[in-house]
Amino acid sequence: MNTIFALAQVVIKELYRRKDFYVLFILTVLITLLMASASIFHDDKIVRYLKDICLLLIWISALVMAVGTAARQIPAERENRTIFPLLAKPVSRAQVIAGKFLGCWLASGMALVVFYLFLGLVCASREHEWHVFIYLQALWLQWVFLAVIIALVLFGSVIFAAPSSNATISIVVVISIWFLGSHLNTVALQQAEPMRSIIYTIYFLIPHLEWYDIRDLVVHNRPLVSGTICGLATLYGAAYTGVFLFATWLCFRRKPLN
Amino acid sequence: MNTILDIKDLRVEYRNRAIGQTTKLAVNGLNLSVQPGEVFGFLGPNGAGKTTTMNVLLGFVNATSGSASLFGVDVREPIARQRIGYLPELTYYYKFLTAEELLRFYAKVFGIPRAETEKRIDELIKLVELEPARKRPIKSYSKGMQQRVGLAQALINNPDLLILDEPTSGLDPIGRMKVREIIQRLKNDGKTVFFSSHELGEVETVCDRVAILHQGELKVEGRVDDLMQKYKANLEQIFLRIIGYQPVAVS
Amino acid sequence: MPAPCYILALLLTLCFTLATSLQLRMHSISTGTPSDDMLKAVLGDGRRMFANHYFVKADVYFHSGYYPSIFEQGAKAPANARHMVEEHHDEGGDHDEHEHEKAMDFLGQPKDWIDRFGRHFYSSTHSHLDKPGEAREILPWLRLSADLDPQRIETYTVAAYWLRGHLGKVDEAEQFLREGLRANPTSYEILFELGMLYSENHHDSSRARNLWELALRRWQDQDAVNRPSVLQRWEESKDVGDIQPDINIYLKIITQLALLEEGQGDLRQALHYRELEVKVSPLPELVQVEIDKLKQKLASPPISAPTK
Ligand SMILES: Nc1ncnc2c1ncn2[C@@H]1O[C@H](COP(=O)(O)OP(=O)(O)OP(=O)(O)O)[C@@H](O)[C@H]1O
Ligand SMILES: [Mg+2]
Repeated sequence: MNTIFALAQVVIKELYRRKDFYVLFILTVLITLLMASASIFHDDKIVRYLKDICLLLIWISALVMAVGTAARQIPAERENRTIFPLLAKPVSRAQVIAGKFLGCWLASGMALVVFYLFLGLVCASREHEWHVFIYLQALWLQWVFLAVIIALVLFGSVIFAAPSSNATISIVVVISIWFLGSHLNTVALQQAEPMRSIIYTIYFLIPHLEWYDIRDLVVHNRPLVSGTICGLATLYGAAYTGVFLFATWLCFRRKPLN
Repeated sequence: MNTILDIKDLRVEYRNRAIGQTTKLAVNGLNLSVQPGEVFGFLGPNGAGKTTTMNVLLGFVNATSGSASLFGVDVREPIARQRIGYLPELTYYYKFLTAEELLRFYAKVFGIPRAETEKRIDELIKLVELEPARKRPIKSYSKGMQQRVGLAQALINNPDLLILDEPTSGLDPIGRMKVREIIQRLKNDGKTVFFSSHELGEVETVCDRVAILHQGELKVEGRVDDLMQKYKANLEQIFLRIIGYQPVAVS
Repeated sequence: MPAPCYILALLLTLCFTLATSLQLRMHSISTGTPSDDMLKAVLGDGRRMFANHYFVKADVYFHSGYYPSIFEQGAKAPANARHMVEEHHDEGGDHDEHEHEKAMDFLGQPKDWIDRFGRHFYSSTHSHLDKPGEAREILPWLRLSADLDPQRIETYTVAAYWLRGHLGKVDEAEQFLREGLRANPTSYEILFELGMLYSENHHDSSRARNLWELALRRWQDQDAVNRPSVLQRWEESKDVGDIQPDINIYLKIITQLALLEEGQGDLRQALHYRELEVKVSPLPELVQVEIDKLKQKLASPPISAPTK
């Protein structure tokens, strides 16, 4: 466990010593503030469009950061040959994977907290009330979302040689699942038989990432998702994360390194 | 005496990905054992298979056939690496960390208690003479300085067996001298050192035993003194003769 | 390293947002045309697409996010979004309300457990922005839509309806309508809405009358060749899908004019408008009642007719 945390710490250190996070955060802040400064019919209580834009930016930034970081981890270890001194220590490859995952996940969690604090500030300045619980829920679900994504990307990174192609493929896969995944059943029902079963099978196999995106509820002040539902969604996400991490380990376990 | 490092009938083939290419035989039927307290020189021309052998010992590369063990534990078990220190041949470390942070990280991996870690880091940094640069990120280091960091990390857990792949490459004369001193000191402390090198003069002075590898096969193995007596020559001449080097006549 | 590429891609996608937001700012500073031309040059016809997107977005907001996706093909999205204004001031609203409820029940029964479970995570119940002041939330998207496609008339009328009717921002509504009129000088819809503003908010009947009369003239002028036939087609079948909106606005204009004239005591003029109305109204019996009433009053004028 110590080893895993030590590895995670290195990932986090790397992330905050790089410029990515700062660039994305400052961009988000700038764009949101710019939108906020526009006077729309002299009404300064309009807030939902701001929430909407800010959340969109948060989602894009978090996705880019998580995918970029996770895709880079293992290939960079191999390319820079840092994996050799590391694995020469009593560290198993499973621990390397777990540590890399944990590092990416914790780092993105920390980034999310910063982003959501900013969102809270912007909204509170207009609404004069704090919808703390819905923000916390949105943050938590997005974090679970990122766990699945990071595990998926790590899996990709032991399959595809180049990190950039892995990142691109991962982003495409994630975005298509995110936006189309929930509609595959509708599509399947419109197809003839062989296709129908195939699409339905895919529908049941893919992780339903769209669940974790409750921006709609946050933007429109809809009620909270119930705790049970939230917990079940977390379990579902954890299961997929586990599956992807296990697959990563299977592929990486016996891979010759050079 | 129980053997610390044992290699039996080791054979390693690299499978080339390019279509139509055959496999490349890097190590062929290698048998080797190293006893505790020995300094063992692992010699051979470029491409002989030294690094490949070490990679097998550390579990990076799987043996095609044969076996290898450290402290009597199969090298595929991570626990076999608990008491070894390793210096890779081309050293690169996390560039964004400082030397101190890097050593702290590796100490944590070994589960060394915190108080001891700090003491050890101070010692090692002094040993490899990186005092002025210890708080700078590694990306700002010169090649030789990186090699020194590598040496320090190999010693972080106070290992019983050191596996060093060309420890003096990239070092200045003082650095080389220092490495020789370190090896000597480790030997005096009863540690075992297994290292590869192209510096035959150096090997001659520090090694108890040597092995010369050529094209993946073990050509000669024995105590340095015995070999020199047998061949009536110094190590360099022996080496050249074994790999079949014919001097080109210059007129 | 993939990171720079992503940042670049992100920057590009955000450029658009930025451009439109700058556009918003420009408007708050001055209603400048240079930026308008620039944006037009840069984005060309894509503007219209985006304008439509943002207009729909306003409608999505109006439903608090409950909106059919392109996959819910069974459901006809309330495409022209007229209901955004009509729901609240239609007298026959009850019927329409039901229609709308039915149209918006696009989700249906959950198809499987994933579908059922997933409904907890997005807006899956139908609702409107009913709380006082909440309607302001749709305004930014309408503003954006108008900036991108100044020729889209609904944008102005919908925004003005909410601004003056529910948010008490009559001046802003008037300004926005006039902006729309500058971009679409022949729009009878905007003229009608402007008339409503004068009549309901400023209680200025004479300006309202002028505006509505102008609107009526514009309605008749527009597409002058086809007008008579449009009316004729309507009178024959009463259900010609593509001209329905046109007829609706015509009806509204003449109804308002009739009411105004009646209120002002010009019964003869009121009768004239009612007679036009009865020909196109979907409920001619009701209009006929009004006509009969007017005729009665004309036959026996009260002792002191109200003068203006
Ligand atoms: N990944 C690989 N795929 C294919 N062949 C390889 C691979 N790695 C090494 N080889 C080959 O295996 C042989 C042994 O290489 P190795 O690196 O062990 O040599 P070495 O003795 O360490 O040489 P040097 O003194 O140059 O470090 C070489 O012929 C090399 O070309
Ligand atoms: Mg080598």
